[in-house]
Amino acid sequence: MYGRRASQLLKDFSANEPGQISAFDTENFDQVIKECDAHHLELQALMRKIQEEGLDIQTTRNADHYGAVIHHLALIRNKRCLMAYVYNRAEIIQSLRWKVGPVLPEEVQEKASYSEEEYFKNHSAALESYMSEVELDLTVDMVPPKDPYTKVRVLDDIGDVFLSDQSPNLARHSIHFLRRTDAEQFISQGLMEELSS
Amino acid sequence: MASGSEEGFGFGSGSGDVDVDPSIAMTTDVELLKRAWRNEKAAPEILQFESNLVQRSKEQIQLMEETVEEYDGNGTDPLTVSLYQMDLDRTQFLLRSYLRIRLQKIEKYPTHISKTDTWSRLSEQEQKFAKRCMDDMEKHLTQSVLSRLPYGYQSILKQSISSEEDDMVPEPQLDTFVFCKSKVSLGAYQLDESGEDIVDFVANDLYVLRYKPVKPLIENGQIDIV
Repeated sequence: MYGRRASQLLKDFSANEPGQISAFDTENFDQVIKECDAHHLELQALMRKIQEEGLDIQTTRNADHYGAVIHHLALIRNKRCLMAYVYNRAEIIQSLRWKVGPVLPEEVQEKASYSEEEYFKNHSAALESYMSEVELDLTVDMVPPKDPYTKVRVLDDIGDVFLSDQSPNLARHSIHFLRRTDAEQFISQGLMEELSS
Repeated sequence: MASGSEEGFGFGSGSGDVDVDPSIAMTTDVELLKRAWRNEKAAPEILQFESNLVQRSKEQIQLMEETVEEYDGNGTDPLTVSLYQMDLDRTQFLLRSYLRIRLQKIEKYPTHISKTDTWSRLSEQEQKFAKRCMDDMEKHLTQSVLSRLPYGYQSILKQSISSEEDDMVPEPQLDTFVFCKSKVSLGAYQLDESGEDIVDFVANDLYVLRYKPVKPLIENGQIDIV
């Protein structure tokens, strides 16, 4: 059936947990592209046939015309599916810029296509240039602050760092009381966890 | 300096230790920013950029930062400092979140925004950002899909060359429902063209309505969405 593979691509995509992507399905993707080419060839062949029979291509409504229409619509449907697949993945990838920062986590990088990685970099750069123009870092303060300070446990050896009000040694498993704005960047990178009081 | 920032931020006015007329309290920049933020958060499409308000808020945040630093240095009661700090953090959150929500809307619908009159609602920096979003997405889609499709089907805006209009542009859903509240009684307001659907806005009552018909009221500030 025409268009089945393309819709399968999207079904596989939406079977993921929201906000998660699986590896770019190059095999099926390429197959759908091939299908598109095949539809296009059939379409052109039918158009030629109509012309060769000396009929007006705009007004003819014979079997060949409807055959051509079906190929045209199947092609469009495939295009929409492919676009939706790439577009929705791109949306998830770009949302990661807000969640984890300017570097794609390794497990996402493995699943992303080359073009997707490039898109992430470009988009990330666009956001950064906006933030430097308005002189505000918008990736901190993601949740409304309740208390200016928060208690955190360090999950990885970070070492000595300079923060806005202190320069603690962030050794693994140590517990600190930090400014929320300082702690947030570490939390989003998975280097710290917040201890709810 | 301290009194200046108290006025600007309404510091303590909520707890009642400063006698502030409620009508004045509603027009402090913090309240205005909060309102702009709430409206932006709840509206499905991007609203007019509050450029003066953002500018003022930024200046006041800077002033507050200086105040906090000064207090920190001259040995003022740590509790007072931490209260100022908290107030500062909250205002900063409001401002950041406001700008962030707008960017996220731009990320989602850059092409649609650039094609409609919503384009003029963006700040200059936002317009630049929107352009880059569009270019990056177009490059990505062209590289991954469009350049590999047959001739006639390669447009990013149209499904094929036989489409007369741009029919592949994602746009915000304006028919969605929003919660809204009016500060004053507005009387009867017509929601549809035939005049069958009329709502009577009573002050401070909460309504759940479709966004599109009440859009003009939100734009001119007669009602707020929450």
